[in-house]
Amino acid sequence: MQPDPTLIAKTLAEAGVEASFEEVRALGYVVRIAPESVRAAIGALKDCSRSFDFLVDLFGIDTGEAIDVVYHVRSFGDDAELHVKAEHAYDSVLTSVWDILPAALMAERECAEMFGLKLAGHPNPKHLLLTEGSQPLLRKSIEIRTAEEVRNR
Amino acid sequence: MSPVLVAILRVLAAVGLMLMNGVVLIYMLRKVLGHLHVRLGPTELGPAGMFQTTADVLKLLTKEDILPTRVDKVLFFLAPGMVFVPSLMAYAAIPFSPTWIAANLNLGLLFTIGILSLVPLGIVAAGWSSHNKWSLLGGMRAVAQQITYEVPLLLAALPPVMLAGSLNLADIVRAQGTVWYWLPCFPAFLFFLVSGLIEANQTPFDMSEADSELVAGFATEYSSMKFGLLFLAEFSNTFLFASLMVTLFLGGWHLPFVPDSIVPAIGLPVIFMVKVYLVIFCLMWIRGTLPRVRIDQLLQLGWKILLPASLAWIMVTAAGVKLFPMIFGGVR
Amino acid sequence: MSDPRDIVKHSGWIAADVPTEPVTLPAVLVEPPCGVKELMTENLVVNMGPQHPSTHGVLRLLLELDGEQIVRGEAVVGYLHRGIEKLAEHRRYNAVGTLMDRGDYVSGIMNELAFALAAEKVGEIEVPRRASWLRVMMSEINRLASHLVWYGTMGLDAGAMGQFLYAVRDRENLLDILEDVSGQRMMFNYVRPGGVVNDITTTAEAKLRTFLKTIDGYMEEHSALLGGNEIFQGRMRGVGIVTKEMAVAFGITGANLRASGLSFDVRRDRPYAAYDEMHFDIPVASEGDCYARYLVRMEEMRQSIRIIRQCLDGMPEGDHMGKIAKVFRPPAGEAYAAVESPRGELGVYLVSDGTDSPYRMRYRPPALYALQLGEAMLPGLLIADAVVSLGSLDFVLGEIDR
Repeated sequence: MQPDPTLIAKTLAEAGVEASFEEVRALGYVVRIAPESVRAAIGALKDCSRSFDFLVDLFGIDTGEAIDVVYHVRSFGDDAELHVKAEHAYDSVLTSVWDILPAALMAERECAEMFGLKLAGHPNPKHLLLTEGSQPLLRKSIEIRTAEEVRNR
Repeated sequence: MSPVLVAILRVLAAVGLMLMNGVVLIYMLRKVLGHLHVRLGPTELGPAGMFQTTADVLKLLTKEDILPTRVDKVLFFLAPGMVFVPSLMAYAAIPFSPTWIAANLNLGLLFTIGILSLVPLGIVAAGWSSHNKWSLLGGMRAVAQQITYEVPLLLAALPPVMLAGSLNLADIVRAQGTVWYWLPCFPAFLFFLVSGLIEANQTPFDMSEADSELVAGFATEYSSMKFGLLFLAEFSNTFLFASLMVTLFLGGWHLPFVPDSIVPAIGLPVIFMVKVYLVIFCLMWIRGTLPRVRIDQLLQLGWKILLPASLAWIMVTAAGVKLFPMIFGGVR
Repeated sequence: MSDPRDIVKHSGWIAADVPTEPVTLPAVLVEPPCGVKELMTENLVVNMGPQHPSTHGVLRLLLELDGEQIVRGEAVVGYLHRGIEKLAEHRRYNAVGTLMDRGDYVSGIMNELAFALAAEKVGEIEVPRRASWLRVMMSEINRLASHLVWYGTMGLDAGAMGQFLYAVRDRENLLDILEDVSGQRMMFNYVRPGGVVNDITTTAEAKLRTFLKTIDGYMEEHSALLGGNEIFQGRMRGVGIVTKEMAVAFGITGANLRASGLSFDVRRDRPYAAYDEMHFDIPVASEGDCYARYLVRMEEMRQSIRIIRQCLDGMPEGDHMGKIAKVFRPPAGEAYAAVESPRGELGVYLVSDGTDSPYRMRYRPPALYALQLGEAMLPGLLIADAVVSLGSLDFVLGEIDR
């Protein structure tokens, strides 16, 4: 379940990625990296001895100040899971990792459209679920109608 | 009576038979498939839902005939007729009893199979004119299927012809007085069954309207009675195939172990019809149970197995007919 | 790798959208310079879905066909998008279950369970033992019902109509039981943070016992009718092969992953509820074709029946709902909880900010990842093969679109 933090620190340091570690209650290890080093970090984690080659999920969280893009990777060899978070500014560019982990293809499209990020390096950067031109739905600034509003409409 | 009047009456009889068959077979299909599928089929209208098909025919007749904008209008209107008319014509040579034949043709078998091979022409016309890609694919499949299976179908029908020494369907039935041909021609019987299932577009081989692949194939854009005609022709083809099967292999109007002389003349067509309906029941059984083969598997079955196998069996039969006249003497 | 085609950079995507120009029909006779007439063909772009009988919901596939063979294909989804993740941010924890049900509507219990587990993890709540057992039991009943739907639609995809109705006959009994317990046939809202809403009723238990008496025979019948059929095997064997590498690369989970030879099951490897107390086997196949997926799912159904029997016999006494505040406010934090849904690993990543509704709820849809693989598999398949390959991956569009 829990990965070996020293191994991950070593792997990321070798790949030249600056990373900070924290152990989050009820979640496990979270590695925080800069958005520019996402490709380097994911690639290094995939190629390390305990290959983190399975992308469980890729999604965003709107923290109120920026968008945390979470890469949830798993190593079947080590039976370990790791969350890699990269804080992207609003309206910034999300660099695709699809050539490293093809599983990211659709998840990246969804993440980009839902949080209003621009996709770079993706072979098919269309919207996945929402129609083209719609608002980034999962941002906290986008309001939905509350029950009262619907009732009083 | 004037021969013209007789001819008209015969055509009307064939039309009536075809329409009645359609209605009865649709009801039968629903009930048989229903019970095979642990459900009941129609139950509401009339005793045991018997009038459901009649109601459906009325519905089809009164429904709006939708004409999609970009269809090839001439072909689109002609196609149901091109499917329906050959199917109707093929009734001419079917021998229901020694006397009940609309046209006693010396080349009856050739005529029936030849006229039935016009049906896919109508299907491809329907597929082409609909301006729908799924219909087009369905039509194309019909052509591929037709080219592949016309030959084995005829080849599988030849051994009984060789045994009976005639292409006249009534003569073939008469020759089966002692032994029905499914026994001496058992492989040919199986080849005929498979090719016939494909010709009649029945489920393991219903390529041109495979609903899970091509939506409804060539019939996708048709509505109202034009669809009704396509639908009716399909059931009529099933009936024709089953009656060919009965004629060639299952002894036509003969009863097993009972000489024809004891059966009253009116009973012979009844025996024939009962046999045909039993064959159709088996076809429905197959339809309700088996999954569908893939188009390339179907074509491979046709070219690589059925065609050589039926040719080989013709050779065996020919050798048998010539070399062992003692054995087949009684049959002849 | 047995399939030499490049798995990642498959021959690309069809640009933008369906062409507005009418597509020229194929087969045009042209005269090449040498004077020999040659048949030139053009590819045909067809739109499979959203209203196609075998796309299992509102999936739309854009296919470029060369005859019957698919040259390129793209999956277009989003027709069923209801914004479950956004709506969950505006609901109390107890009410999110109703949204989760509408995700993967064929296996609602497991969706609710994933959310409840995540909420319990972040809120650090203990669940009574009986509630855990009930969760396992209802999950397995629902898994059996869901696999039966898959079995039936697999038959429909392969052209056999009867199997669907046989499967639905059995599923009907299971839905009756679930209805008896939860009050609903599909949208249960049964599993909530802290436990389950109702204890199992005596009538449901009696129904379950009668059902278990007949199901073994029926399972044999199902296997014989579909899997034992030569035509069906001819359609499934060697079709839609997914290698282990492909499956891992595309994030496939569940039965599809196990059919490719990797034994990972959330129930065993990340035990939740009471699965660590159950005895069951995890079927694995190595071929990775449609038939392997079929076999794995059929065996999973038998294992589900085994687990249901264990639950029925060993159900511990106790309360079915833990002690939980009426308005549940977990402390701020994050948690990820996954369950083994019939379609694979269904995960919920929950962010709590200490209020009575989630700050962010991410629903990991296993079927979305399966669809990605399905899309990459399309080039080179015949239409009929594509139908069974996508059918064997078993996705539900409600879950993909959320």
